[in-house]
Amino acid sequence: MNRKRTFAVSLVLMIACAGLILTGGASNADAASPKLKVAFALLWTIDDQGWTTAHYHGIEYLKEKLGDKIEVSYTEKVLAADAERVFRNYAQQGYDIIFGTTFEHMDPLLNVAKDYPDIVFEHCSGFKTAPNMGNYFARMYQGEYLAGYMAGLMGFHNVGTVATNPIPEPIRGINAFTIGLLKGLKEAGHDAKGDKVNTIVWLKAWRDPINETTLAETLVARKHDLIRQMADTPDSSVAACAAGVPAIGYGEDAARYGADCALVSSIWNWGPIYVDKVQQVMEGTWKTGEYWGGFDRNNIVLSDFHASVPEAVREKVLAEKKKLEAGEDDIFAGPLYDQQGKLMVPEGQKASDKDLLTMRWLVKGVSGSIPQ
Amino acid sequence: MIEDLAFIGQIAVKSSIAVLLATLGEIVAERSGILNLGVEGMMLTGALCAAAAGIATGNPILAVAAGTLAGGLLALVHGFFAVTLRVNQVLSGLALTLLGMGVTSFLGRPLIGIAPGVRLRAVPIPGLADIPVIGDIFFRQSPLAYLAYVLVPLCWYWIFHTGTGLKIRAVGEDAAAVDAAGIDVFRIRYLCTFAGGLGAGLAGAYLSLSYTPGWKESMTGGQGWVAIAMVIFATWNPLRAVVGAFLFGGLTALQFYFQAVGVELVPAYVLKMLPYLLTIAVMILVNVGPGRRFGGPAALGVPFSREG
Repeated sequence: MNRKRTFAVSLVLMIACAGLILTGGASNADAASPKLKVAFALLWTIDDQGWTTAHYHGIEYLKEKLGDKIEVSYTEKVLAADAERVFRNYAQQGYDIIFGTTFEHMDPLLNVAKDYPDIVFEHCSGFKTAPNMGNYFARMYQGEYLAGYMAGLMGFHNVGTVATNPIPEPIRGINAFTIGLLKGLKEAGHDAKGDKVNTIVWLKAWRDPINETTLAETLVARKHDLIRQMADTPDSSVAACAAGVPAIGYGEDAARYGADCALVSSIWNWGPIYVDKVQQVMEGTWKTGEYWGGFDRNNIVLSDFHASVPEAVREKVLAEKKKLEAGEDDIFAGPLYDQQGKLMVPEGQKASDKDLLTMRWLVKGVSGSIPQ
Repeated sequence: MIEDLAFIGQIAVKSSIAVLLATLGEIVAERSGILNLGVEGMMLTGALCAAAAGIATGNPILAVAAGTLAGGLLALVHGFFAVTLRVNQVLSGLALTLLGMGVTSFLGRPLIGIAPGVRLRAVPIPGLADIPVIGDIFFRQSPLAYLAYVLVPLCWYWIFHTGTGLKIRAVGEDAAAVDAAGIDVFRIRYLCTFAGGLGAGLAGAYLSLSYTPGWKESMTGGQGWVAIAMVIFATWNPLRAVVGAFLFGGLTALQFYFQAVGVELVPAYVLKMLPYLLTIAVMILVNVGPGRRFGGPAALGVPFSREG
């Protein structure tokens, strides 16, 4: 058989297979026309048990609340390289509001927003806005703070954290958790002064089930008494359970995904944001801006506690949660010191939202560093 | 310190088993002259089928068999293109990887989040497991790890000390000569490609039944590619594959250990790069200097046809 032909056959084969991959993510659209059209671009599949599942729960909530007035579509696995095409496609089809749900969607969304001034764009977890593009995020660190507080009250003083990527969002979460942990330990009568109570190890990925497992097992072998999951998949919590060490879930309720030892999980709750934004567009009251809600606006929720969490601890944690629900967020109130003991937030002051969004230092009590 | 050594070793061995099994399979295939770059795809397929069979039947033996066989069957697709149609093996292998990734991502969706039907937990071997350090490192592992321990010498003996092994190596060196001697080149190449797929499928089954039970999309995380590099690192010898795989596992274990202890002697990025750097180094070493004692099979990737 001649070489060129075999080469061509092989090429066709490869292209066919590549096509299969690209269409691996599903698109879903409801029919009907006069309704408001809402579109979502999702990072991964709706059943990733983490980030995208949380957004999907938000979409389901939106449909439940406004289902008869809107038409909702979503596309899965919209990676950075493909994002602009997906957004442009939705814009051309006349969608009224388009959501980009991961950090990497920011610039592609902005590019398309410039070309379609009459369409509303909303971006999750970024920092750029336009007259017709707003951004939104949830104060996950509040849930992480409560989880840390609970762990401290229960006397855990050697936590091992499976951290993800060394950028401000996880760093903020690590700090909030550690601040809560130290507060809890103090109230429980443990003298944790000067101790490193929370050891962090970076995965350098948002999800990587095999390495999450390896990392959690390494931390268990290093005799850490509690494993804290930060990755999108529950595998580090599951691995901790299998090794007989309690875990703390993140993003979704880890206990629902096989980590039956998870003491508590802090969970994204995007639904209320989506209903608000869509309603504003419907009523013509939508304005661009930056939205960052926490427990006060029900954008973060806490899972049920594990049976082993004592009643007294639950009461204290829930009392602290009440404060956050009332808008009293003093988590990053001074004095706060970094790992070297340098004063970062003086007494009487509080880290501003801008400080939080650009946070690149770890609080005292954390063992580990931020890789460059 | 000794304790740390024991658990680093334990995690290193645990992390190396999948790569080792896939490497063994690929060595057999490449020894017969078939280059199969589809290892990653076959591993994923094996992982998915093992997880699915585990959920469906709850039977560990059936689950392992299903994963292993799935890898083998997918390899036969490569066999058909590479041996019968004589297409470019690099392209066909890459297509197999892409096919495996796409198909498993599509078909695996209903399995995500379902409790795994089979969990192959570590089983300490009585007696051996109590040896200090060594016992902790090698004899408190998954049953599939023990299977790998047995397969390594068997595979080595098969390739280097049996009549069939001689034929396999001969086909990989000069298929035309072997054909002239009256040996069925096609049959041997199909057989070896199939065996290679079995290795990759078993490696996938190890990941989804033992390492982190349950199916997760693209859960192999590039280990199939590491296996292909390890074949070269091992210079097509099953015994040396152990060194390569253990090196990979050791680096995996160490990159987290250093961070956990708080002394990052070598940056994690460098550790991740090391298996590939070493492979390149081995390739250079075996190709400079006189002769090519450690070189690959001469007819690797070369299709055979009687018309020449």
